[in-house]
Amino acid sequence: MSILDETYRVAWGDLQYMKGNIVEVLLSSLIGPLLYLLAFGFGIGGTMDDPNSYVLYIIPGIIALTTLSSTFSTVSMKVLVQRLFYMSFDELLLCPIHITSIILGKTVQGIVRALISCTILMVVGWIICPDVKPGPWVFLAIILGSFMFSLLGLLAGMLTNKTQNLSLFSSIVVVPMTFLCGTIFNLDVLPDVVAGIIYVLPLTHVSNLMRGIMLPDYTVGIDSIIIILIYIAVMFAFCYYLIKKNKC
Amino acid sequence: MNRIVEVNNLVVRFGDFTAVNGISFDVKEGEIFGFLGPNGAGKTTTIRTITTIQEYDSGSVKIDGHDIKTEYLEARKLIGIAQQHISLDKDLTVRQNLKHHAILHKIPRKDIDRVVKETADILELGEFMDHKVMDLSGGWKRKAAIVAAIIHNPKILLLDEPTAGLDTRSRYMLWDLVRMLNARGTTIFLTTHYIEEAESLCDRVAIINHGKLVAIGTTDELRDMIGKVAVDTTDDNGKRMVRYFETREAAKDFSATLGERMFSVRRTTLEDVFLEITGESGRKLQ
Repeated sequence: MSILDETYRVAWGDLQYMKGNIVEVLLSSLIGPLLYLLAFGFGIGGTMDDPNSYVLYIIPGIIALTTLSSTFSTVSMKVLVQRLFYMSFDELLLCPIHITSIILGKTVQGIVRALISCTILMVVGWIICPDVKPGPWVFLAIILGSFMFSLLGLLAGMLTNKTQNLSLFSSIVVVPMTFLCGTIFNLDVLPDVVAGIIYVLPLTHVSNLMRGIMLPDYTVGIDSIIIILIYIAVMFAFCYYLIKKNKC
Repeated sequence: MNRIVEVNNLVVRFGDFTAVNGISFDVKEGEIFGFLGPNGAGKTTTIRTITTIQEYDSGSVKIDGHDIKTEYLEARKLIGIAQQHISLDKDLTVRQNLKHHAILHKIPRKDIDRVVKETADILELGEFMDHKVMDLSGGWKRKAAIVAAIIHNPKILLLDEPTAGLDTRSRYMLWDLVRMLNARGTTIFLTTHYIEEAESLCDRVAIINHGKLVAIGTTDELRDMIGKVAVDTTDDNGKRMVRYFETREAAKDFSATLGERMFSVRRTTLEDVFLEITGESGRKLQ
């Protein structure tokens, strides 16, 4: 209970900023995924024999993708700026707050942003394709996925000392994941070696999770849940170490 | 008098470099304690260690009896710090920053608005409360940072170079503020490289050089270390020379030996002590 209370205390400042800039925050989270839906769903999907089934296929993928796109850059950039330019990250370390709460608190902004953006996308997806069945488990999957990618953002924000390096990391890791992790096409069409590499990337398993929950012909793979939990545990431990040893 | 800070044989290393090398000192409740040293002497490392965010290799630090290694959360409740760099969130207003500090320091929710207003009123921050921090001048940013540091009514306030980069008016404003906070019962730990600041504000001063504590005491005690009276003169090449004496009479006797040479006899200052001990030169200890 104390950790949850402290988590809210840490997140309060970031949430205030988000509240004061909600239009910009949501627009920047939604424009990309909506364009993907338009371009891939109706553009490329429109050239297929069964456009509806492709739109149905990519809606969960785009929601999975949104758990990455709406969290990583927000959390990493905010932490980087608070560390290097505002020096306000140190303030957290000077307060009577547990390290666990600091880590959880810095991910809250990403999770809230992902929940709002993904909910809007689900409504849009349901309007254009009523076969999509978002249930309550979807929200748990969004929280799980966005928590994992917020931790990735927190790690990147704590380890990077230049905004250019953050952009480079985003170009090398985040952008390829966005397109390759089964969000907009089935991994079965890829050569085995490439598919094997993509299998270990976290977004692949968030995509699998979303499809398993939202589409009738798919099931939730236990391997995906385990891999996501392993990523969360490893990144959380790394964040804890960096803060504990004052290496951020 | 109760000891708020107890530092014993503190050693902090960064690889092969020893930034703080076995220093020991106490800060007593209610005093303004100055911590002087040239750049790179170990001031900021010491202050970061005392505030629990810098790991140390050996020794011990206690805040009001709480060991910072084993009871760091308890220790943090007693500490307020205004860091050398303004560490407020520039995207938020002053009010939001102060509320966030109050929330982080676990002030009860029902009291937060009242505490923020009362603390801001003490420092007359009222008209700037709804300004974004990024829109404030340097002096007001610093003032806001100090308000944030005292929002939870800490027993000790650590000020790391509080007047660095400020104009004279803002500097005097902050000196008044430090005196006022101290008069209200807050113990102050101040690092500075402005000697006149330490001389004007501090009850006791410690001087650190190359990671070692080289002197500690009141200004008078430190002056006694080198002599109360100074004689300034120049050599044949125009280079400044200074000698220190225990008494004015001894200084006058020495002056009489200077012949036609220009000289002045004056009271020894803390700056003389600092220069003598650290071998630094120049009025500002950079």
